[in-house]
Amino acid sequence: MSETITADIADRPGATPAAEETPREAAGRKASSIEMQGLHKRFGRDTVALDGVDLDIRAGEFFTLLGPSGCGKTTLLRILAGLEEPDDGSLVVGGKNVTEVPPHRRSVNTVFQSYALFPHLSVRENLAFGLKMRGVPATERDAKVDEIAGFIQLGDLVERRVDQLSGGQRQRIALARALVCEPDVLLLDEPLSALDAGLRSQLQVELLRVQKRLGMTFVFVTHDQQEAMVMSDRIAVLNGGNIQQVGAPREVYERPVNAFVARFMGHDNLYAISARQGDRLTTALGTLTAEEAGEGELLLIRPETLDVLPGEVEGPNHLQARVAERLYRGSHAEFRLEIGDASLQATINNRGRHLPDVGDRVTVVVAPEDLVTLSE
Amino acid sequence: MSYSGVIPPARSRAMVREARHLLFTVAPGTAWIVVFLVLPSAYLMGVAFMTNGPYGLPEMPLSLESFKRLAGFGFLGWSPGNLYTLLRSLWQTLISTGLVVLVAYPIAYYITTCREKWRPIMLLLVVVPSWTNQVIRTFGWMNLLAPGTPLSGLAESLGLIAPNMGLYPSNFAVTLGLVYNFLPFMVLPLYAAFEKLDTAQVEAAQDLYASPARAFWHAVFPQTLPGLLAGIVLVAIPAFGMYVIPELLGGGKGMMLGNLVATQFSGGANWPLGAAGAILMLIATFVGLFAMRRIGKRLGGGEEVVI
Amino acid sequence: MRKRTLHRGLTAFWWLTLAFLYLPLAVVVLFSFNASNSAASFTGFSWRWYERLMGNEEILSAFANSMILAITSSVLALVIGCLIGYGMYRHRHRKLGWLIVLIYLPIVLPDIVFGISEMAFFVQIHDLTGLLQPGLGTMIIAHVTFQIPFVALIVYSRFVGLDPTLFEAAKDLYATPVKRVVHFMLPTIKPALISAFFLSFTLSIDDFVISFFTAGPESATLPIYIWGAIKKGVSPEINAIAALMIAAVAVAAAISLAFSRRRLT
Repeated sequence: MSETITADIADRPGATPAAEETPREAAGRKASSIEMQGLHKRFGRDTVALDGVDLDIRAGEFFTLLGPSGCGKTTLLRILAGLEEPDDGSLVVGGKNVTEVPPHRRSVNTVFQSYALFPHLSVRENLAFGLKMRGVPATERDAKVDEIAGFIQLGDLVERRVDQLSGGQRQRIALARALVCEPDVLLLDEPLSALDAGLRSQLQVELLRVQKRLGMTFVFVTHDQQEAMVMSDRIAVLNGGNIQQVGAPREVYERPVNAFVARFMGHDNLYAISARQGDRLTTALGTLTAEEAGEGELLLIRPETLDVLPGEVEGPNHLQARVAERLYRGSHAEFRLEIGDASLQATINNRGRHLPDVGDRVTVVVAPEDLVTLSE
Repeated sequence: MSYSGVIPPARSRAMVREARHLLFTVAPGTAWIVVFLVLPSAYLMGVAFMTNGPYGLPEMPLSLESFKRLAGFGFLGWSPGNLYTLLRSLWQTLISTGLVVLVAYPIAYYITTCREKWRPIMLLLVVVPSWTNQVIRTFGWMNLLAPGTPLSGLAESLGLIAPNMGLYPSNFAVTLGLVYNFLPFMVLPLYAAFEKLDTAQVEAAQDLYASPARAFWHAVFPQTLPGLLAGIVLVAIPAFGMYVIPELLGGGKGMMLGNLVATQFSGGANWPLGAAGAILMLIATFVGLFAMRRIGKRLGGGEEVVI
Repeated sequence: MRKRTLHRGLTAFWWLTLAFLYLPLAVVVLFSFNASNSAASFTGFSWRWYERLMGNEEILSAFANSMILAITSSVLALVIGCLIGYGMYRHRHRKLGWLIVLIYLPIVLPDIVFGISEMAFFVQIHDLTGLLQPGLGTMIIAHVTFQIPFVALIVYSRFVGLDPTLFEAAKDLYATPVKRVVHFMLPTIKPALISAFFLSFTLSIDDFVISFFTAGPESATLPIYIWGAIKKGVSPEINAIAALMIAAVAVAAAISLAFSRRRLT
């Protein structure tokens, strides 16, 4: 397991999967793309879950729907699965319009948040359920179940009862149960949210490995931006039933298009631009020069791009500050700096050199190319 | 918003589908209960307001005759017979419910003090007799209370009954039969209440009030009240409408409302009168249920009372 | 010290209450083996009442009626009640208060009112149309009516206890509506269906009052037969049938105990 993990992560993004024969290749099928147009969904009278969503997901992509709870990401996933019908708009999977196709006739499978393993069936029967419902003969069913069990490395879990499984084991069975049907698209509804941190990161890696080897289109829902960045080829950030931004993890993190995306990706250093002269932007921190100032009225400074020098040093884009708080995290330290009435977060890698103390006067150096402007 | 007010076609299709599904699943049973229980009950209520015809069958015109007869006004002027029956039903219900509480309360408590693995078995032991047919259980008491049996002999030697009379038929036998019949119905909800008992409150009370009696009254009793109320509903309502026990153990002077009603429907008596009695029973049932729900709600946590 | 006395007192009271609960049943069983037909004194052991039972056509037909009634009504109630239970679950977000009231009606209605209203109604319908001749048919109708609510509530509570996404998982895994019922819903609620069936069966066998009022001349069940025999004058034969019915209950109790034990472990 471990050698594929490192290989896959190193190869990303857009890595080609390992050369081994996979169940998908054996079946001779291709991954499907998804096109959504003008999807609307309301619940009851006033709750707008989706407010006109247009989104294209490429074939073979690990695509993540990211957003806070109630942003519409789960509704969107359920519409993909067919468990919810949109009020308006169309959904095309693999070139076929499936907007009104019921879930049992869609070649789309879901890994549910609660795993939803059937309690009256054994693990093997759970794995074979989808194939049985499709009318696959028993011998072929058994062969496919054994194949997927080998692929996901379920080992002897297959012969257990569902109530004998731990959370992590259930998660893997749920994944295998969906994959064994060889769907065009696999949907994952916060599949890791019920697991503890250690198991979670282990399964993140495993999930990635599986996706890369199968080359299947994965649509993943999460509210955890770290998880989204680790896993995804591309991310769509949703809020209030609208898509805010679509892009590769680096793009969404480093160039958020608006304040919502920036805050959701974990950024705090957002400052209103009070005046501008070409690339010279004035904020509560003072006046800074950006390499390429955009249109937006907000300035974003990422904490990890800052240099913090001891003492007071003069220079371009140099800001005089006082250390108000220091959080020592081992590999790095986080600082809250006071510049006039404003405050600024900075992260410094711990390379063994001097780390300023609370109360120290320091100088913050901002690189012009790291300044991003965005709109509210 | 690209739409407003109009129901999108996909949603209206889904609504029709759901409505059809509801109809398909719920309609057969609903229709069954309406046709075979609601309609008959409505018919029975109608009968109560009709006139008694020949062979005891109801006839037009509508009248309140049967309610007057229930209150004792007959052809021969007022006689207290029916009123006695009503009062006896009420009295038997009260006394037997009270006795059931007195027996069930310590029993339910005792079960919760026993070891956990014994409790299901103990509850089963309490419940099993009520699984046997009511007629057979009552017949058992007839055997026990008949003249010449040891129990009757004991009562005779204590001077409680006249020689060779036996303990049945009598009002005492009916009370005994009712207590016997309904004991499990009280033990189960009380046991549930005791099992949930917050012992911290009891300990705090022992700390504060010192005397066990006061600790019980302030800390234990209020917590078991919902269970007690549920038990009272489960006992008193069916006891008031009891037919089998007074019929077998009561004799002529032990009749209750149930017997009065039943008699009017068998052997060419008086359907409207019987129906009027049934209405009385229904009123008692719904008043009882309603009152318990109200009290239960006021006490809070009365979920057991919601039958 | 005080606590110990209280506990001892309660223990004594417990055993007294058990004696009170089992004495009438014990007497019935004991006297079913009585050599004489005295109801007051036990004169010696004999099987004679059981032997006489076996030759009694009326009792055998009453037994058959009881069984036909219990099985037929339980099966019907299982189907109808199961549908309602599922409907109540699936549409639990709607306002279904009227349905709850309707479901509880057969449970809260006093037996005697239940019995006579059906009897009066059936007689009238029979006079008007010739349908609903009093007999096993009308008894089955009446029994199904009081069994439906219990089945519906048991099935409903089983569904409520399930993870709702299971229904979606079944859809997602290509199960058509029919296959969802056959391969997912029915197997999942099987334990509930079994206990609902046994409860219905027990309720039917236990019922006397409603059967009594809806029965026809040819459709006496065991309790009705026993009732008639008691009314005519006690015969020791009744002890024998009653003892057999008590034995059946004891067996049922033992089975239920074994089941609850197994569930605990």
